Amino acid sequence: MAAKLNLSGPSDSDQSSLNDQSVSSRSINRSLRVAEKQRRKNEAGDPFVLALKYFSDVEAGTPVLGNDDLERNLVLVEKVAYSKGLSPEAISIMLEFAMSLRMGTILCPRVLKCLIPATVVPQEAVVRAVVWLGVGKIPFGTQVLFIKWVLTMFDMIDAKDHLRAIYGFIFSFVTEENLCPYICHLLYLLTRKESVRVFRVRKLLELQSKLGRQPFLLHLLSLYKVFCPELVTLSIPSRMKSGFRNHNSPWKSVLIGVQKRNGSQVASSIGLAFTIKDKTNTRKRKHCHLELPALSSVVNKQAQTELSSSRKVVPLVQLHSFAQLLENMHHIELPAQMGSLLGSSLALQYLDCVQDESALLRLNFWLGYALHEEFLFCGDGGASQNSEEALQFLNKLLSTQHFLQEGFSSSEAFLYKFLSVWDGSLLRPQILGLLSNIPVVPSSQIRQLLFEPLMQLFFTSSMFFKCGLMECLNNMLLKWLTWHSVYALEDDLDISLNSHTSINMTLSGFKDSVMELVNFVGRLASVGLQLEGCHSLLLSFILDFYETVCDTFLKYGLPLVVMPPAGVFYPTLFAADPVSVDRLAYIMYRYKVNLTSAKNQEKVTEQAFHISRQTFREFNHYVVVMVNCLWNSKMFQPGMDVQLGEELLLKSNVPEYWTSFDLIHHPAFLSYAVDFHQRCWPGRKDMDLNSIKHSKPWSWYLEYLFTQGYDGLKQFVQSNISRQLTAGDGQDNSLSTQQR
Amino acid sequence: MTSDARSEKKRETETGPEGIDRIEIRLDLFTNVNWTRMSLLKPFSRLPGLNTASILLVENEEQFQQSLADALVEETAVTVNVRLAKSLPLPMKNEEGRPRIDLVVFIINLTSELSFQSAEASLKYLDPGYFLGKVCFMVTNARNASVPTERLDTVRKLAASLHCPLLFAEDQTPDGVANATERLLTILKVAAGLVPMATALYLSNLTRCTVPPDIDQPSFD
Repeated sequence: MAAKLNLSGPSDSDQSSLNDQSVSSRSINRSLRVAEKQRRKNEAGDPFVLALKYFSDVEAGTPVLGNDDLERNLVLVEKVAYSKGLSPEAISIMLEFAMSLRMGTILCPRVLKCLIPATVVPQEAVVRAVVWLGVGKIPFGTQVLFIKWVLTMFDMIDAKDHLRAIYGFIFSFVTEENLCPYICHLLYLLTRKESVRVFRVRKLLELQSKLGRQPFLLHLLSLYKVFCPELVTLSIPSRMKSGFRNHNSPWKSVLIGVQKRNGSQVASSIGLAFTIKDKTNTRKRKHCHLELPALSSVVNKQAQTELSSSRKVVPLVQLHSFAQLLENMHHIELPAQMGSLLGSSLALQYLDCVQDESALLRLNFWLGYALHEEFLFCGDGGASQNSEEALQFLNKLLSTQHFLQEGFSSSEAFLYKFLSVWDGSLLRPQILGLLSNIPVVPSSQIRQLLFEPLMQLFFTSSMFFKCGLMECLNNMLLKWLTWHSVYALEDDLDISLNSHTSINMTLSGFKDSVMELVNFVGRLASVGLQLEGCHSLLLSFILDFYETVCDTFLKYGLPLVVMPPAGVFYPTLFAADPVSVDRLAYIMYRYKVNLTSAKNQEKVTEQAFHISRQTFREFNHYVVVMVNCLWNSKMFQPGMDVQLGEELLLKSNVPEYWTSFDLIHHPAFLSYAVDFHQRCWPGRKDMDLNSIKHSKPWSWYLEYLFTQGYDGLKQFVQSNISRQLTAGDGQDNSLSTQQR
Repeated sequence: MTSDARSEKKRETETGPEGIDRIEIRLDLFTNVNWTRMSLLKPFSRLPGLNTASILLVENEEQFQQSLADALVEETAVTVNVRLAKSLPLPMKNEEGRPRIDLVVFIINLTSELSFQSAEASLKYLDPGYFLGKVCFMVTNARNASVPTERLDTVRKLAASLHCPLLFAEDQTPDGVANATERLLTILKVAAGLVPMATALYLSNLTRCTVPPDIDQPSFD
């Protein structure tokens, strides 16, 4: 029993020593050798070992039918494989047995299906199996099954240098029509710059003209194009069908099961090959399917030193400081598992400085695959989805995106799909966080990709979701504006972008997208306020958004000013809390500053942009309404948006209804007026709020309001209203709007 | 808490000998115009109750509706009547005691073809007036790997052709159920006329399902 355990993974005794991170790698190696010897000793009498021996020694041509030995041994191997997984040696033996067809073609699929590695898959076994593939006796179905197996286990193959060495050999299989999609996927994972050759590109193009624009060919070609743009002249569509097909293979779920079962064992034994590995990782490693692999090198450990010195490549894993990174910047070997980049800040720095497009392409490919697999294509409908694990993964992704200050295109593509099946609560903070990172969406697509799913979610969800989405859209707008102010060139109106984001967008295109977004939020906000009864929490989030919108020109240099819709303006103006009214006043003040400076600049530089007359008209209208309402006590005047019939107003029996929303009677400020009245005339028994209207008390009252922290109101009043301090009543204040 | 006590759920489809009778009657009366008119569920056949909203959950598998119903009756702000049914038409014998149904929810489990077919077959027993904002579809298991993509597309097309909202729910986690309940309540309150300045038609116009473009489709521009 103990021997069996040993075969499928390191024993508990050496595992504990392996777990200890402080032990140097040399002593780990020694303890491994000791464990190896121990293992050899125990192996002799174990039935599983005997079974393996049977498969390694069995002679070609042994009959399958009625062979009890074979059946018994195979069942034994399957049992171990499905429960604990197979050790590297066992994988080698079984793979060799299956692919050599020593006992015919019938057993081959069955054996392939049970090849579940407990730790790693030895590279040599895969190379040998690929060679067997070339012999040509294996039926097509089995060939496909084998390549699928390699793809599923790719990340578990201990090194890839020898596989890369036979790149040309593997490439020769692309002409086989059945194998082509899978071979392309495998090649995609193996391709390096050296592998891109003219004749290969020609072959792929030839295939494409034969098979049509297949996504797998396009993906491989796009990678070739990244490495050698001069060789691939083909134009690659910007938004491609999502990669290679999902291989919903028989191994995935078993593999996850096996890995979960001996989680810590896998972790520690893989951990051997790594030098970078932090403690916190070990706990996470328990569930291997959704977490970042640790950085590892593609080349074999023993061959590493000589290889790297001869070829002058330095695996990222060997670098420990930023200085080292700088020294080796131009000959860095990327890790085999691109996902590991997310976990290493050094690797992210490399990505950011070098802007290596092939690295980003590979990272995106891996990420898109992982996200799709885990969140859109769940084996069990998401029931047993470990939310803790998913949470950590997405948080890591978020922090990576914050570090790089941009989103990944694969996470963007994932989000569009996820939004269309989202229930609005699953992983909400993470999803909204990722959503706020998406790059500018072209205005032609923004509606279908973003607005329609979001609108359905917004109006059917709770108030808190509405607030969350508002915050998310505000962050999205902020990022877009920041992005514009960074990348826009001074003299050129078009936004020039580095290769990083691969979007090219004209200024007008960008403006259209921003306008679409602002108008969309305006619609959401208006109806949202209506449905939620102008809830002040929601209103606060909406005002956050408009605080961004009103400053687009001055803060971000974007010549675009969009006014809030009436559905936002009036509920805020008549809100019962003074903070909202104050913030509206601040927003209107900023609009005024932005519009005036835009106008001045237009006069000075005579640039091509101008802000439409309509915007000025809307702004003036709002200012007139606000001043009339708060200052001049002229509510319900003709020409205002809010109009009521004279008779109706009289019928309401509200005395002096025209004053009901001035700074004294406005529901938000009434309590201040009362308080002021008591302080001003402490002796008076009967309260007459109208007495505040007189010139002197009025300016005292304003001073009083401003000392309460209503700076927005102060700025609004100072910029829009000039008072002529003549003796008399408070109605002499004239309104001045400097805009047309 | 008092209104909590008043909230109730009731199963509409009974099994047993009466059920079999009913099926027989249904079979031979398929041609009977009178009967068909009787069996149509109508949105305005009764007066609404004060501060009351009634919701009908239709699900062929009768699983998710149970947990939804339990969560829905917890609502305290309004009295919520939950009626459960396997499919439509509803049995005649409950006709008298049945409140005015403000919202009909078809729950479709995407992993089962039958679930969709049953919902589709039930649709014709609803008065056309319901489709002015008082019907919605709720889909579960949309992220399951075993669901053929065509099925989700078919459901989308159905919801889009009827101008109804299509909600997605995570039925297997408590959070998912709570969220689904909350969203149904949001729609229900509007459909029952409990939200000032909003009507069912208004809300459904904002939230109705649209057939999304195939995002995967490569664009060759």
